[in-house]
Amino acid sequence: MALALAAEGPIWPLGVYFVLVVVLAAGILAFSYVLGQRHRQQATDVPYESGMTPTGGARLRFPVDFYLVAMFFVIFDLESVFLFVWAVAVRELGWAGYVEVLIFMAVLLAALAYLWRSGALDWRASGSKPAPDKERGQ
Amino acid sequence: MIPEALILVPLLTGLACLLAKASPRAVRTLAMQGTLATLALAVLLWLVHMKWLAIDPLTARSLLELNLPWIPALGVSLHLAPNGLSVLMVLLTALLGVLSVAVSWRGITQRVGFFHFNLLLILAGILGVFQAMDLFAFYFFWEVMLVPMYFLIDVWGHENRHYAAIKFFLFTQVSGLLMLLAILALYFLHGRSSGAYTFDVARLVDTPLPSPVAFGLLLGFFAAFAVKLPAVPLHTWLADAHTEAPTAGSVILAGLMLKTGAYGMLQFLWLLFPLAALDFAPAARVLGVVGILYGAMLSFAQFDLKRLVAYTSVSHMGFVLLGIFTPNELAWQGAVMQMLCHGLGTGGLFILVGYLSDRLHTRDMRAMGGLWASCPRMGGAAMFLAMAALGLPGMGSFVGEILILIGVFHVSPVLAIVASGGLVLATVYALWMMQQVFHGREKVRAADLRRTELGVLAVLIVLLIYLGVYPKNVFDTFNSTIKHSRTFNSLMQQSQIEDP
Amino acid sequence: MMTRDLLALGPMLITAGGAVVLLLALAVCRSHAFASAWSVLVLAAALAAIPMTWPGAPASGDLLNLLAIDSWALAFWGIIFGSALVVCLLGFEYFRPLAVQAEEFYVLVLLSATGAAVLAAADHFATVFLGLELLSVSLFALAAYRRDQAISIEAGIKYLVLAGTSSALLLFGLALLYFHTASLRLSGLAGPLLAGHPDTIALYAGIALVLVAMGFKLGLAPMHVWTPDVYQGSPAPVSALVGSVSKAGAMAFMVRLAGVTLTGTPGVRNGVFYGLLVLAIASMFTGNLLALRQPNIKRLLAYSSIAHMGYCLLAVLPMAAGAALDRQAVFYYMLAHAVSILGAFGCVCAASENGREAQHVEDYRGLAWRRPVLAGVFSLMLLSLAGIPLTAGFLGKFYVLASGVRNALWLPAVCLVINSGIGLFYYLRVLGTLYQREEAESPDQFATSTAPSALLQPSPQLLLTHLTLAALVVLLIYFGLMPALASLPM
Repeated sequence: MALALAAEGPIWPLGVYFVLVVVLAAGILAFSYVLGQRHRQQATDVPYESGMTPTGGARLRFPVDFYLVAMFFVIFDLESVFLFVWAVAVRELGWAGYVEVLIFMAVLLAALAYLWRSGALDWRASGSKPAPDKERGQ
Repeated sequence: MIPEALILVPLLTGLACLLAKASPRAVRTLAMQGTLATLALAVLLWLVHMKWLAIDPLTARSLLELNLPWIPALGVSLHLAPNGLSVLMVLLTALLGVLSVAVSWRGITQRVGFFHFNLLLILAGILGVFQAMDLFAFYFFWEVMLVPMYFLIDVWGHENRHYAAIKFFLFTQVSGLLMLLAILALYFLHGRSSGAYTFDVARLVDTPLPSPVAFGLLLGFFAAFAVKLPAVPLHTWLADAHTEAPTAGSVILAGLMLKTGAYGMLQFLWLLFPLAALDFAPAARVLGVVGILYGAMLSFAQFDLKRLVAYTSVSHMGFVLLGIFTPNELAWQGAVMQMLCHGLGTGGLFILVGYLSDRLHTRDMRAMGGLWASCPRMGGAAMFLAMAALGLPGMGSFVGEILILIGVFHVSPVLAIVASGGLVLATVYALWMMQQVFHGREKVRAADLRRTELGVLAVLIVLLIYLGVYPKNVFDTFNSTIKHSRTFNSLMQQSQIEDP
Repeated sequence: MMTRDLLALGPMLITAGGAVVLLLALAVCRSHAFASAWSVLVLAAALAAIPMTWPGAPASGDLLNLLAIDSWALAFWGIIFGSALVVCLLGFEYFRPLAVQAEEFYVLVLLSATGAAVLAAADHFATVFLGLELLSVSLFALAAYRRDQAISIEAGIKYLVLAGTSSALLLFGLALLYFHTASLRLSGLAGPLLAGHPDTIALYAGIALVLVAMGFKLGLAPMHVWTPDVYQGSPAPVSALVGSVSKAGAMAFMVRLAGVTLTGTPGVRNGVFYGLLVLAIASMFTGNLLALRQPNIKRLLAYSSIAHMGYCLLAVLPMAAGAALDRQAVFYYMLAHAVSILGAFGCVCAASENGREAQHVEDYRGLAWRRPVLAGVFSLMLLSLAGIPLTAGFLGKFYVLASGVRNALWLPAVCLVINSGIGLFYYLRVLGTLYQREEAESPDQFATSTAPSALLQPSPQLLLTHLTLAALVVLLIYFGLMPALASLPM
């Protein structure tokens, strides 16, 4: 019902809103370009214009294993959402739903076993491990 | 029975040449045997067509016709049914096939197997084109022969071969696709009006077409045929392709591939779109006459001997175009005769030029002169072929040209008079060529023709003279087609009404 | 009811299950040979299951909502699983000499094939998105599979960013369509579109966004910019996968979408029709013109595939009438294109040595005299792409042209003819390079034999690749002479 009402409502305010957003963003950029002051001095392009001069390059290599684990957490956490959905309707879905959830869990477990065995959960890993398999994100 | 054998024999021989790990000599022998077998089959086809058909039509038909369903869902069938015109062209193809293997005997030393594979594949494709009576199959064979021809030019050609090969392929392929569009349109129009979807020519004939549609379709077909023929604005690929191709390639291009265009016009255009063709005929005749004169003049302006011969083709095929689009029996007979004689004569000239440039390593006429002294046999053969090119009475080309001119005169005297100017120009360039190469101060010397080489040219010369003094066989064979052609008869009536 | 559904889903269940089992097996023990053999087996089983499912017993309610497993979907599953099978075969010898871990490649191929299959059968916005994402996400990883090469990673990231954008557009488009029709089903679109609901901007925008997203997957002209980079950067078997599996899945869905929208209200119909027309013509010209002077063979094939998708759209345009002939034309064209592009990239695989891909056209100079058989196969594939008779590409083009002529679509048909001419130019350029004479050769070297017999023997390291190519050649010529598959009822 709400949908039907929404469908019949005028859509032009959305367009106006969009135009306003664009105009505002463009305006801010343009005004700061026109009104802003420019100067070019010795330290203009240095990261800390008024601070100490940086030494060394910013391109350091440092291990990012924490990021892998964080990603796995997000993925598996998200998958568990489906279990809640099933839990709400467990009686209506009956045995068929139960079997389907079992299959779902099995696939998740397979992925977990794969990750574990290929060493992706190994916190001490030093970069010799395979790439995170992104397709399980589905 | 015979038609499919005619295609399969060169095809399989070609595959054998490609795959056999044999010495070049064995490959050449194999190719020669294959083409000789094809020639034998072609003669058999002619005999069956001429003799047996009248006595025992049923058996003869089964020998002469093949009709296999190919893509039943679309109504495509592999329908091969050579008629009189096809038989003549098949004979020419088989003969020139033998000769082109013969002239490659010494000239081709690299990748002999692949060369003969391409050569024989082209022959198979051309034989398919000349016999197909199903438009899908016709187009199929029409395209099949392009790729091996491309390879012949691109791999074994002369200096500028890549450019020439690509130009040749592009011209023929794009125009061929236009024909495919026209074929498809005809197919659907026929299917819609009759309910039967088929590519069979015999059944497509009855398609009722509004005249602008028929004219558009005719132009689609004409584009493809005119490129192959070649008619004047579309002739530019020809000089490059003929010049850069190896000798056998030039022989096949000039002798056979150009004929496929003329064959298509004569066989299909009049049959499928008689009324539109009648409307279009005056324009086509003008194109023909322009081709005759323009080709002859270009030919006279060349220093490259091979290019000179290539441009004579434009001139001679102009006569063919003129004859085809003159709807009376004389002109058509003349056109067929001219097609045969051009195949033999120009093929011979290309072979001769090939022999010359093998010896002198140049095709530039300015570097030649006075060759008669060192090679009289070559000079004699060249003289014969030059006379054939200029249409001397006694040679087949005279018969062809004179018949065309008489036929045209009935329809349009002015065009006939202008076109006969082409004969004068032909004399100019043919004699100019003889004079530059064989007469005058002796600039170079060369070894004379070997016996086999002379033999190859002798076959052509004898045939040219035979056609010149006894053209009846050709006329009879072609007659067997046109006398039974409903289109032709109705055209005859119409043109008589139109031309008092 | 369940059995019938399972049977209908059979091929897809096999590939999806196969991928999970392979993943588990990899957890236990890594073996490249096992992984490739297993995936080949799984895909072969999926292929074999297709005729058993044919002609598609109508699935029951729940499944019917999500997937339309009709003869159209099953036919495209054939292309998808067959192509994936070829990619797995090519991948084995491609990855064997490389330092990268190759086993996951097969998992990803199986998953991408599953995704494409879902997309080809999708009849519900959820399955559309699911299939597209499964396909894309696998392809990100696959494109970047050669992590030892910067260009491969670049390809992966480019594909990730652009495919992500197009997925977002697709989602937005689907949402707008739902907003307009209050139905999540694709075939449900037809009702509101026909019933004379007033067209809204939301409807137009929704359809346009979905078209753009699909155009991106197909590499149609304004959305084509990723194609050359991804084709070039990905490992050759993955480029083959992108050219066959992903294109087939997206084209199958494109036809469903066109079939629904082209029967809509006049406004929608015209919009979609002219939109597709512009996309088709722009793709033909863009692809072919950009390929003309391209020196990199993988980029050249990418541009050529852009043009080919444009050609194929010619048969999608008349989808309103829904005639079987037009669907068959699209199917046969995609089939022929898959065989040719797989063969062409297979030749790139076979010509590569020691992990260095033969990418440059110059790498192929004179190949015909060094490896005549490989050059012959490559020539056939190129000729098929150019649409020359005796090859599948010719009949594909023939069917598409026939469809165009039948529906009197003269403008795109003539554009196709012109573009065939342009396209021919660069195919012939590559072909000419293959057969170029090496200047240093002496005549007597070839007087003794046309080719040294050692070169005719496939090297033992590439036996599987050569056998695969041989099979592709047989298919190419068979499909070029006997288009029996084109007459499947669709």
